[in-house]
Amino acid sequence: MNLELGNIFIKDVKFGEDTKVENGTLIVNKEELISLISEDEHLKSVDVELAKPGDSIRITPVKDVIEPRVKVDGPGGIFPGVLSKVDTVGTGKTNVLKGAAVVTTGKIVGFQEGIIDMTGPGADYTPFSKLNNVVLICEPKDDLKQHEHEKAVRMAGLKAARYFGEVAKDIKPDEVKSYESLPLLKSVEKYPELPKVAYVQMLQSQGLLHDTYVYGVDAKKTLSTLIGPTEIMDGAIISGNCVSACDKNTTYHHLNNPVIHDLFDKHGKEFNFVGMIITNENVYLADKERSSNWAAKLAEYLGVDGVIISQEGFGNPDTDLIMNCKKIEEKGIKTVIVTDEYAGRDGASQPLADADPKANAVVTGGNANEVIKLPPMDKIIGHIEPVDSIAGGFDGSLEKDGSIVVELQAITGATNELGFNKLSAKGY
Amino acid sequence: MKEIIITNNPLVKEELEKIIKVEYYYTDYMEILKKVRDRIHKGHKLLTHPLSGSIKPNETPYKSIMISMDKDDLDTDSLITIENSIHTAKKFIKDFKTPDWSEEILSDFQTIDLTLIKNAIK
Repeated sequence: MNLELGNIFIKDVKFGEDTKVENGTLIVNKEELISLISEDEHLKSVDVELAKPGDSIRITPVKDVIEPRVKVDGPGGIFPGVLSKVDTVGTGKTNVLKGAAVVTTGKIVGFQEGIIDMTGPGADYTPFSKLNNVVLICEPKDDLKQHEHEKAVRMAGLKAARYFGEVAKDIKPDEVKSYESLPLLKSVEKYPELPKVAYVQMLQSQGLLHDTYVYGVDAKKTLSTLIGPTEIMDGAIISGNCVSACDKNTTYHHLNNPVIHDLFDKHGKEFNFVGMIITNENVYLADKERSSNWAAKLAEYLGVDGVIISQEGFGNPDTDLIMNCKKIEEKGIKTVIVTDEYAGRDGASQPLADADPKANAVVTGGNANEVIKLPPMDKIIGHIEPVDSIAGGFDGSLEKDGSIVVELQAITGATNELGFNKLSAKGY
Repeated sequence: MKEIIITNNPLVKEELEKIIKVEYYYTDYMEILKKVRDRIHKGHKLLTHPLSGSIKPNETPYKSIMISMDKDDLDTDSLITIENSIHTAKKFIKDFKTPDWSEEILSDFQTIDLTLIKNAIK
């Protein structure tokens, strides 16, 4: 399974007559995009705004962030099983509008968090402040149920990303990166001297606003399985997870999963990256047992020496994480877990809701309870009311001048558990 | 295996009591965790994770947890999980109390809690 990613660097975004890329600028035909997204009967109105790095703009509540991509060569299309047929993706060539993103906002429930500041101290905590964002503001039809509303917003983002991806199809990329993923036995044969490593990615799968889809299948209804890491680069996994902004994986995170990219970087040099397992995070404890049993069984079957396990979300996934870690270690395979912390505002409390002595190699994405003051911005895209409704309450407070005191957990991607952020901790 | 849902969510009572035994209590999030802990000491087994959902314990006022109807010897895994969950919830509530939400937002929290526990009904 070989995939070439062709990155087309986007340095600016603006509205114009035709949607296209011109000298590194993504030009957006606003009317055409609005009419495409408005096809969904569940949406009453759609608006589009642009947010660039350095703009005095706050986007909230953010539902998903998606990078525009398009298949140039090879089977299938982007977001298989959702927007394209269920062909197996991950081979051939894919073009990427690197530096651009579609951001969706929508007040699906009243208490939603998820803030992207394009400038100021908050911007340092979210990777999406560095992107040229096309923001969709989707208003639902009256009395639309939450799950239909969530789906409408999710699909709007994916459709917009595909729409922009299409204009990149015939452009010669500024940079091409190749990713080689061999069948297991061939990979072992090719690098016999290197330790064999696999990646176990845990997917949020608990219910409304907590879901992830694999080739269009709701992850809570799946058993742990093998997947090619390049399949994910073509959108095999998409996010329907809108809760816990700081440590949810947006679709952008999945497409750019840094664990996969780092494993590829060192593949054939420091170790042999032989495969990837995906497993879910269900509410039912017997499901947790079954899924972690299967993840451990598959890791053993691959015959690896070490495994990296990444988590998604807060609270009960800590239990899935520890189950995966413990059971894989019990197979004689070393593990490193990637998580984040809720260690209280003073950072002194136990950071996870579960623990085990076998979890002795941990990478943290930071403490989500840390408090930050976000100064006012000139412009708000989306709904400020969810922030207002939490005034004096959960995440912090909206002050008279428009500044907000929040815990980092309100900022999209601040303590990402794939390591797609800057926060961490080192032990000596 | 027969199950009981321990909840303070009126929507769970309304929607699910026809298909499963629901014990509804007019109380707060922490008290539900403690009631479940007490039941575990009496030999019930924990069936769903007490910290279901990524909504924080000081954010949502609602909690629904499924336990076994049957009693047996004390299940230490269940006990460890509920005690860890109580510890985590206390940590959040210590820093920040659950706010007085509007009716609309309370209704959203009820719906999310309902979908989370519904997914556990087999």
